[in-house]
Amino acid sequence: MRNRFSDRLIVVAVALFAVVWLIPVVWVLVMSFKPDEVLMRSTAGFLPVPFTIENYARVMTVAKVPNWLMHSVIVSFLMTFIVLVISSMAGYAFARLDFPFKRPLFVLVVAGLMVPEQAIFIPLHTMFADWGMHNTHTALITPRLAVPIGVFLMTQFFRSIPRELEEAARLDHASHATIFLRIMLPLSVPALTTLGLFTFIHGWNDYLWPLVSATSKDMYTVTVGLASIQGNFGQSEGLGTLMASAVFASAPIMLLFVIFQRFIVAGVAMSAGK
Amino acid sequence: MQITRKTALAASVALTTLTAAMPAAATDITLYRFFGDCEGEFGGVTDLNEAYGECGIITVLTNKFNAENEIGANVITQTVDWGAYYDLLSATYSTGDMPDVAVMHASQLVNFTDRNLMTPLGNKLMEAGVDVDDWADAARNNVTNNGEIYALPFDIHAILFHVNVGLMKEAGFVNEDGSVRLPSSPEELILMGKEFEEKTGQNYIAIESQSSEGMAVRMFDAFVWQQGGDVLSADGKEATIDSPEGLNAATLIKQMYDEGLTDSGLDYGGAEQAFIGGRAGILVNGTWGVNNYATQAENGAELQEYTALDFPTLYEQPATFSNSHSWTIPMDESRTPEEEEAAIAFLKFLDDNNFAWAMTGHLPVHTSVIESEEFAALPHRSDFAATPSMARGIPAVKNERGIYDAMISEFTAMWLAGTSPEDAVAGMQSGVERILRRNNR
Amino acid sequence: MTNRTPQRMRRDGRAALIFLAPFLIIYCVFLIFPLFKAVFISFHDWELAGGYREWIGFFNYEDLWYDDYFWKALGNTMRFAAMAVPSMTILALLLALGLHGHGRVRAVLRSVFFSSSVFSVTVVTLVWQMVLSPDRGLIAPIFRSMGMEPINFLGSVEWAMPSLVIATLWWGVGLPMALFLAALGQIPDELYEAAELDHASRWSTLRYITLPGIRHTVLLVLVLQIVGQFQIFGQAQLMTKGGPANTTLTLVQYIYNTGFRDWQVGYATTIALALFVVMAGFSMLQLWLGRKGDDQ
Repeated sequence: MRNRFSDRLIVVAVALFAVVWLIPVVWVLVMSFKPDEVLMRSTAGFLPVPFTIENYARVMTVAKVPNWLMHSVIVSFLMTFIVLVISSMAGYAFARLDFPFKRPLFVLVVAGLMVPEQAIFIPLHTMFADWGMHNTHTALITPRLAVPIGVFLMTQFFRSIPRELEEAARLDHASHATIFLRIMLPLSVPALTTLGLFTFIHGWNDYLWPLVSATSKDMYTVTVGLASIQGNFGQSEGLGTLMASAVFASAPIMLLFVIFQRFIVAGVAMSAGK
Repeated sequence: MQITRKTALAASVALTTLTAAMPAAATDITLYRFFGDCEGEFGGVTDLNEAYGECGIITVLTNKFNAENEIGANVITQTVDWGAYYDLLSATYSTGDMPDVAVMHASQLVNFTDRNLMTPLGNKLMEAGVDVDDWADAARNNVTNNGEIYALPFDIHAILFHVNVGLMKEAGFVNEDGSVRLPSSPEELILMGKEFEEKTGQNYIAIESQSSEGMAVRMFDAFVWQQGGDVLSADGKEATIDSPEGLNAATLIKQMYDEGLTDSGLDYGGAEQAFIGGRAGILVNGTWGVNNYATQAENGAELQEYTALDFPTLYEQPATFSNSHSWTIPMDESRTPEEEEAAIAFLKFLDDNNFAWAMTGHLPVHTSVIESEEFAALPHRSDFAATPSMARGIPAVKNERGIYDAMISEFTAMWLAGTSPEDAVAGMQSGVERILRRNNR
Repeated sequence: MTNRTPQRMRRDGRAALIFLAPFLIIYCVFLIFPLFKAVFISFHDWELAGGYREWIGFFNYEDLWYDDYFWKALGNTMRFAAMAVPSMTILALLLALGLHGHGRVRAVLRSVFFSSSVFSVTVVTLVWQMVLSPDRGLIAPIFRSMGMEPINFLGSVEWAMPSLVIATLWWGVGLPMALFLAALGQIPDELYEAAELDHASRWSTLRYITLPGIRHTVLLVLVLQIVGQFQIFGQAQLMTKGGPANTTLTLVQYIYNTGFRDWQVGYATTIALALFVVMAGFSMLQLWLGRKGDDQ
């Protein structure tokens, strides 16, 4: 109980810091409610005066932003889902199965962590060009699936689970599939949450690859789309519309995180309960 | 009722013949461009009188073409990230969805024509009725490579002095006839700049000074040309930046910053805001701003009296930095004749509306438009009437963007990192040589 | 490992094949193969568009060795990583420690620090350019109120890189913070209760319970950060374009410019492979240090 006070103090300090943190976000919000012409004159000020919702009206009516949002959501979710499946499967194999060449194979996979995306970016581009598969969801998703960190993370996590938990099932001659699905996966919610979050954000903020792969505007993701509506020299004209689009495109993910938080808390509760 | 195979077949045959018989069946073509996206504001507009600014005018022109053309062509615009435009356009040659029409700075064209990546357009445009002989020589030369025309020039855009006349009056730089007095020598530039600041308390000049856009490099180029020099040899094979002319120009610009004539902290948007906000006498920027700044002045910005003037001649001969927006048809073997016809028709339409584009502030390419009364009637145009004859670009060279970027980073170091003019020109020279060496190999 | 018999190896082998196959196939096709193809490309003068390619052996590598820009970019990249990695890790850890636990206020604050991660790079860089501007930025008035000349952050040789680091922190702290939060949740409450019974100080609780408990996550975050920050691109490209005087030119930016601006794909790939070697070196050092820590 004696920590109550200092706990509060910390929260207050962090809250103050959060206010500073939020200033740029507030600025974006304010600008999104100002007319473009006014912003060209001056971007200063934290009051949305003169106030307009025209920017948002444009974003909604032209319906490009919802389209980008759809692509980003499809790509990020599918990517996350597949990464979770294949990484946890591979992680289980490395953590719990004995097979030939296990160690070298694991080292090979972890070594992949050091391969910068940019090192294989150009070859990937030529590969998809050869297959004629650019401008598809597949092209946006598949190159981001080979995430060694996922396998590494899941392997480490499965290794940390006490073997006793599976002993009973093993004595019942349960198959690996059963052990994996019924015992290991439910236990690994926190690790999956972590990996999922990581993959999702990574996919969501991906810029370079979608830029050069999704070259048709029907395939634009949010990052590429937002960049495309900027005028020459990156600013001045259309700043309000750009900000409104940015807010509109980021809002669903924000909301998602607010909901997602419960899962992190759930993961916490579960591990505390065992 | 059961649909037999035969009836289905007959129906489909009928359908095919029907579509084939209708010349007005929509032929979609894609248009790649920068200039931003203003679909929200001008989405359904086809009346040119309502349009303003580069983005607005090109959007309305596209809408108008789609609404009015009689061959069933439908242009689908794809706006592309300004900073990554050429990267993305080059990437389409791998992804296989080259656009049917793409905007291009004339200085970039040689990258594509040298590798046979652009459709030659000379004969096709002439057959469509484009009067290429009416194009100003500079504009036609810009889009010609080895005697073949590869693009439709749309404008010449050049660097101007945008002027706050109110502040100039305060500084006493306005003659009795109302014309603004600009410096005519390097020494005078510095003297007038200091005097301006004493009298008005504001900066004489606002110019983008960060390392992103390189407005000051354009100024540098112009000053070198004004002395009769150039930054590259005429064949584009050698850098000639480290020269007495180059050093003079660099010294002058460095002095401009050292003497406090301009604020070295301005980025592109900052320079515009300083000017529109009445905090600078002159904005060094291109023709594309004229329409915008005039509109701002009318709508109650601190900038009340606006005009645009020719880039001043400080040395022997007039010259200002220029480039040209042009329209190309990227080479694509899978393009159907109908699509190509539609693309050519669109180019012809844009050519016919050269005047509309000039409303942005850009200079038209058709001599008939330049000499027309309606062009002369546009505000401020007579004040920068000499610009077309002063407009110059660097010699055609592959990898112009790399050269330009190398110059920017070394040049801006003068005021951002405190290097000397001697080091700056030497640095630009070696940076550019590096790129040229790769070009020549 | 008592039941590690050849028999079990065989039985597990089949299962392992099934469990590993999906990942390994993707891994080979989209990582291993492209990597080898990159090596292949690096021996060519290979242009982005137009199909020009010519075998030039080790020329690109020779060129790289004498390329001042490459060494400069490498130095800048390391400088950036040296600043960004520790500051990001520490900030994320501090935030996680402060915001770990229940309560509505904490939940809201967690969302705040996470919120900036969902903006696209276009918007993040644009806003930070404006925030840092000495002319109309948000920091400039503070300087003026103290009677000082505002610093031209992005245009200053000393400040441009730290400015990129700050923008990066703002954009990216959400994820490592979430990782730390998840890890902190894994530490059993009993340990804290025991510490409280022992009247352990806040500091010693942190030192002896919390930090050892999240050691693996710290390592994970560090590795992720090193891998991520070595590949910094968007911030440098959009905020400073590598300037002033090339002080923020980073390797990936140089790769991108060489490949997509100058169309020298062969050379760009060579630089990328050099980046791979550097990153591999660092990651190995990291893992080795981590393992050494584990053994103790």
